[in-house]
Amino acid sequence: MNLSDSERVISVLDKAGYTWTDNEEEAGLIGILACSVRQKAIDKVYSRIHKWNKWKNHKNLITFISGCILPNDHEKFLKLFDITFQMKDLPQLPEMISRYGVTTSIHLKTGIDPHNENIEQFWDVKPSYQSGFEAFIPIQNGCDKFCTFCAVPYTRGREVSRPSKDILAEVALLVSQGYKSITLLGQNVNSYGLDKRDEEITFTELLRQVGELGNRMEKEFWVYFTSPHPRDMTDEVIEVIAGYPVLAKQIHLPMQSGDDKVLIKMNRKHNMKKYRQIVHSIRRLIPEATLFTDIIVGFTGETEEQFENTRKAMEEFKFNMSYTAIYSPRPGATSHRWDDDVPLEEKKRRLHKLTEELRKHNRVYNRQLEGKTLRVLVRGADRKEGYLTSLTEGKLIVRFPSDDKNLTGQFADVKITGSSDFSMEGELVNIEAFA
Amino acid sequence: MPFHTGQFVILRRPGTIEQREYTVYSGAKDNFLEVLVREVTEGKVTPRLKKMQPGDQLEVDGPFGFFRFNPKMFPSQKFLFVATGSGISPFHSFVKTYPSLDYHLVHGVRFGEEAYEHHDFNKQNITLCTTGDKTGNFMGRVTQFLATQKLESDTQCFLCGNSEMIQEAFDILTEKGIEVQNIYTEVYF
Repeated sequence: MNLSDSERVISVLDKAGYTWTDNEEEAGLIGILACSVRQKAIDKVYSRIHKWNKWKNHKNLITFISGCILPNDHEKFLKLFDITFQMKDLPQLPEMISRYGVTTSIHLKTGIDPHNENIEQFWDVKPSYQSGFEAFIPIQNGCDKFCTFCAVPYTRGREVSRPSKDILAEVALLVSQGYKSITLLGQNVNSYGLDKRDEEITFTELLRQVGELGNRMEKEFWVYFTSPHPRDMTDEVIEVIAGYPVLAKQIHLPMQSGDDKVLIKMNRKHNMKKYRQIVHSIRRLIPEATLFTDIIVGFTGETEEQFENTRKAMEEFKFNMSYTAIYSPRPGATSHRWDDDVPLEEKKRRLHKLTEELRKHNRVYNRQLEGKTLRVLVRGADRKEGYLTSLTEGKLIVRFPSDDKNLTGQFADVKITGSSDFSMEGELVNIEAFA
Repeated sequence: MPFHTGQFVILRRPGTIEQREYTVYSGAKDNFLEVLVREVTEGKVTPRLKKMQPGDQLEVDGPFGFFRFNPKMFPSQKFLFVATGSGISPFHSFVKTYPSLDYHLVHGVRFGEEAYEHHDFNKQNITLCTTGDKTGNFMGRVTQFLATQKLESDTQCFLCGNSEMIQEAFDILTEKGIEVQNIYTEVYF
């Protein structure tokens, strides 16, 4: 989400005449798009702004901050940053900067608006896409789910859906420009349209229209979405994904825990029976789909037995990827008021155990792909000298020997010759060829 | 403000950053919005709420939440409501909105005097559990009471209160043969 936001910030600043520098010390304007999901990221913000404010003793510098900010941090940032604004007010950033006199102490700020009014003006900003083949399209902002470990409802405000005609227009534009990988973004992406019942189409219908657009345009591209909430995941969504070639056969379905009682405490509003039903539907309707998830280990009060249920769930669902996080209380989230009572060492042990479980399944999964030819999207040079790296439609990593960086952003067919736990190796068979 | 019974609102004094969530206590057809607030004397919000006078302004955000209740949504019409403390709020709203419900409410408090407005419920439909005195119908925790009860397997069970109670009650109900999908929870913090 922050990457997508930053593409719009760059676009606004480009238009205002600013030029980008990779050298922090050279900059006259420095901004941060904050993320409040973890305390560590916010700690870094404080560390940086103290450094930049010291620089102001010997140079002209304007600082701004936006993004995902909790009310308590917001109050502190007002004193530390020159400009604090909500992302929906991004179009006014150049005006805010021009009003800020370098030698004055004018405070420019907008408060936190939980209703996300005027968010459309942010979506209307044409982003400055940072990649020539991969783009992210925000379709929804905010969250009404109030999971106890998360502060997003307090930082991003309520769920608001972007007009579908604008989303479809952006998809069409990107595809016509040759983009190959498009991700529809939202905090609860499949809650799309629920805030505007009878006025806006549903998430299922949005996906169907994207699929139809793909059929009409006769171009090869893959459309992903992230992150969905199991509560709003329906068989209809899965059926639509199955029915259209451009809708990528990769589903990210955050589980968070494999134990019903932990899910209750997390206020997730889905139980393991519901989760299991969704996974069965995915396996039945799209057997080739890869499945990704998010898991938190060591949530407050998580017992060994409850953790074991999560490990068993991992064994059962055979995820292709799990973004597993060690629980850390975030000020502003409800669970911050509870004891963080699982020792760090124990949390690390649980994380390690889940990683091993993931590794075990992936080893088997990747091995059975050896000898097969897979369609991949080339992403650029690999860390391994003389190799390019790529992703399959299911977002599995495939590297193959080639120095030809011109292949970046192109589809290719690669024959898998070897595999390891989290990636595969192959030989280039064919380039593009679809359209 | 239209809401589904069981939903909550966020309350905040204008110009302050501290806010809290409260389930709506009044019925969906009432022409006012009522919440039940337990004062936390060292808290940042409730002491200020207590000092409010008629005419003072309060920011109300919402409604939110998925602990929604409409009897038509459920396969069986036998309802068990289990609450601790101010967790009685959603059930008060349920019963005010749907007065002809077939329900039984188990409400746990420390002392009988903390039983809020029980006169709004049918006397035969409520069991008051008290841990600090003997003024209720049962002396002990709600979970101890639940453990003594026979339940029909299709009973729709709603739990609202502190997470320890909900976790214990969840175990007791599932051991008694209630399907997980017939247990609905709202954790209070």
